[in-house]
Amino acid sequence: MPPRRQQTKVLCVAEKPSIAKAVASHLGGGQVNTHNTGNRYVKNYVFQYNFPAWGECEVTMTSVLGHLVSRDFESRYNNWRACDPSALFEAPIQTYIQDDLKPIAENIKSQARFAKYLYIWTDCDREGENIGDEIRQEALKGNASLSQPNRIFRARFSNIERAHIINAACNPVTLDDAQANAVYSRIELDLRIGACFTRNLTLSVQPLFHQHFGNREQGLISYGSCQFPTLGFVVERYLRVRNFVPETFWTIKVMHEKEDIKVNFRWARNHLFDRMPAVILFERCLAARIARVTKVQTKPTSKWKPLPLTTVELQKCGSRFLYMDSSRVMTVAESLYTKGWISYPRTETDQFDGGMDLRALVQKQTQGGPWAGLAQALMNGGFSAPRNGRNNDKAHPPIHPVNFVEPTQLDAQERSVYEFVVRRFLACCSEDARGSKTDISILYGTETFNASGLVVLARNYLDVYKYDRWTSSQVLPDFQEGEVFEPTEARIQDGKTSPPGYLTEPELIALMDANGIGTDATMAEHILKIKERNYAWVQPRGRRPQGNDGDDEAESGGEAPPAANATRGRRGRGGARGRGGRGGGVEGPGRGATTGVQEFIPTTLGVALVEGYENMGFEISLTKPFLRKEMELKMKAICDGQRTKAEVVHETIEQYRDVYVRTQQRLNVLRDAVRKYCLGPIEAHNG
Amino acid sequence: MARTADEVTGAIATFLATKSVPPTHAWLQTFIPTIRLTTPLLALQKTALFRLLATDITTSLLKPPSSCFPPNTTDPQVKETSLRGPITVQVLDVEDIGRSRWSQFESLEAHERGETTKGREVIRVVPEANGPDATQAETKSSGPHKLLLQDANGSKVYAMELTPVRGVGLQMAIGAKLVLRDCVVARGVLLLEDRGVEVLGGKVEVWDRKWREGRKGALKEKAGVREGGG
Repeated sequence: MPPRRQQTKVLCVAEKPSIAKAVASHLGGGQVNTHNTGNRYVKNYVFQYNFPAWGECEVTMTSVLGHLVSRDFESRYNNWRACDPSALFEAPIQTYIQDDLKPIAENIKSQARFAKYLYIWTDCDREGENIGDEIRQEALKGNASLSQPNRIFRARFSNIERAHIINAACNPVTLDDAQANAVYSRIELDLRIGACFTRNLTLSVQPLFHQHFGNREQGLISYGSCQFPTLGFVVERYLRVRNFVPETFWTIKVMHEKEDIKVNFRWARNHLFDRMPAVILFERCLAARIARVTKVQTKPTSKWKPLPLTTVELQKCGSRFLYMDSSRVMTVAESLYTKGWISYPRTETDQFDGGMDLRALVQKQTQGGPWAGLAQALMNGGFSAPRNGRNNDKAHPPIHPVNFVEPTQLDAQERSVYEFVVRRFLACCSEDARGSKTDISILYGTETFNASGLVVLARNYLDVYKYDRWTSSQVLPDFQEGEVFEPTEARIQDGKTSPPGYLTEPELIALMDANGIGTDATMAEHILKIKERNYAWVQPRGRRPQGNDGDDEAESGGEAPPAANATRGRRGRGGARGRGGRGGGVEGPGRGATTGVQEFIPTTLGVALVEGYENMGFEISLTKPFLRKEMELKMKAICDGQRTKAEVVHETIEQYRDVYVRTQQRLNVLRDAVRKYCLGPIEAHNG
Repeated sequence: MARTADEVTGAIATFLATKSVPPTHAWLQTFIPTIRLTTPLLALQKTALFRLLATDITTSLLKPPSSCFPPNTTDPQVKETSLRGPITVQVLDVEDIGRSRWSQFESLEAHERGETTKGREVIRVVPEANGPDATQAETKSSGPHKLLLQDANGSKVYAMELTPVRGVGLQMAIGAKLVLRDCVVARGVLLLEDRGVEVLGGKVEVWDRKWREGRKGALKEKAGVREGGG
């Protein structure tokens, strides 16, 4: 064996310190030496490892803290009044490393000097590929020879479990430049478009506030190409609720008592919005007097077990069942992943790969927790293959528990999310719930009425997945086809339609998902943004509104304000990604944590912006999802190798430039909307 | 064989009568000058029918009592009566009474904003994926439809689909002609069934355009103002 000094050196770089530590401990066994770096969160872990391709090597495992590189326009563009905002579409962008991250970059450069191989261990998603590229570039500065072929690799992993990591370590792949480029184009577009429109919007509208209120409290008014459509959904629902006109409808109800059971029959027409026809039909039913049973059908029915868990589902369920908003759920899930309890929580995949050993995962859950017995039952023969959804992002499996952890070892929120993930997984491996449904139809006059009864025969998955409900209805008496009877009671009843509720978070997420706004990784951020920017706030349904969590907007030379409730490393403009802040650990119940159903209410500013842009003409409305949806599709095309970054950036800039020009021509429309909603009543003219 | 104008007129009139749309002499006089007598008769008959279906039947059709509504048809005191027909009518209004006016209004607005056409669709209601027992959050209702019908005399009667009638719906043209046979009339409202209705088609261009233009306003009004009228 060659002496240590001449051993092949491999530099591994993860996305966060916790991942670096976990991987180092799995690969290094007990023999890991830890060294400090210039940054107190980042350590270098040194150990020996025998790679199949490279033999026995000395490995240095370190990390970055999310994105290393920041991007901004050259300083001459900082003065808002010195240039037209549209100049930012072309202005040169410079990349730099922020002061506090410089030691980290230095560390990579210097460690790369001695390395023969660079092995990248960032999270396996688009942002991760992009950060991987940043790391690669830093490393090349320290050691140009790494640019030779077959020197730079990438690990593919979906969780921090030991066997999985070891397997990943032995099967390196290469960085996906297509994905990295998709992110670069997104960063550039967000920077250019965001900055340009934010300046434009603020310069046009902010003076109105300053003038009207005589102070400078109104901070900058920012634009984001995902936030606006998200805000658009919120405002649209708000306006629908406000403009709703309740209408009266009429329905016919038939009740028949048989064998001491009162059976309620529902009108096949459901209800009518015109009284006269309803009354006429009702009269004819009464005239007929006798009802005849036309159909009696009993057949087995089932309630399907849930699909394997995706990010969007997790966020929706988090809101509905765990009383946590989407950002909080993702933060907690991230933490559970980092600690090795669940798999990577950002995934669109809702089908389990055939090769996965699901039983082994179920087996782990027999060790404890309130679900131990149920897991054991699955091992004892109740196991059933999970359903397959239609999505597979080919990067990560559905979210599932990777290891068992005693719930008492977790804090309250982690426990809640972990339990959900486990129960969902066990439910996937259970049987559908089974029941028996009886449908009865009767013909009364010319009208058909239906009744149905449900008997739940086997709860199956419902036993472990306490978030779904399915209960037996009342038992129906026996009816025979052809049987006739005079209904005990028949009456006509009226009711009124009622408005939909304001948008809840699960609904908003579902809308964003269906309309292509944001990806599984970013939806929660956009929702958080519209709250931070003071465009919308949340209130519990049916109770008094809570105030917005006091965010102050920093006004510093045109930068987007840093988040006031800085939950985890919120990115600034175009810089660090929205997750993966320093170190590990989860914050205690943050200001996002709430109980009960939360609904979104736009602020007057939010409504003004949406209405203002809408009134400019629908083809260019920035608050509709079309532009952003197209952008997301183009990102995907870059990842699939169908389009290049340069093409996409150019094309999208031209699209938005067009919008910008038209917006400029109709700024008055926007100002009018702001005046209308934000600045008090417009003076009434007589008449 | 050379045909005289009279012969052709007669043949056309007979043909139209078999279709339950017997034209007035006056209408025929406006039609004949526009055709060439040497055109094959079949084609002439078709053209005549087509043109006639685009007219207001209160001026263009004969009014034999057996083809018009009997005098007490709309009497709400009469619990039930029946019409033999064939009675020819034109459609003056069509409504979907199974769906709230407000939601129909909202749909029209969305359509106008271009949001229901391909590529620009904004999905507003996300269906629940709960397996076979799931009930749909928002079912698109189509009907039953309520129609306002007018016979050649000018008498107006409301009608309603008892069971779905082919050709009847919101896509119908205003001014379309129907032939009714063996209908039940309950409290002054016709109850239509598929077997009793023959849709001849046609449209009165001016009425139809006006109806479509005023649709949103009409829906809005009916939603807000109308609470139980007939």
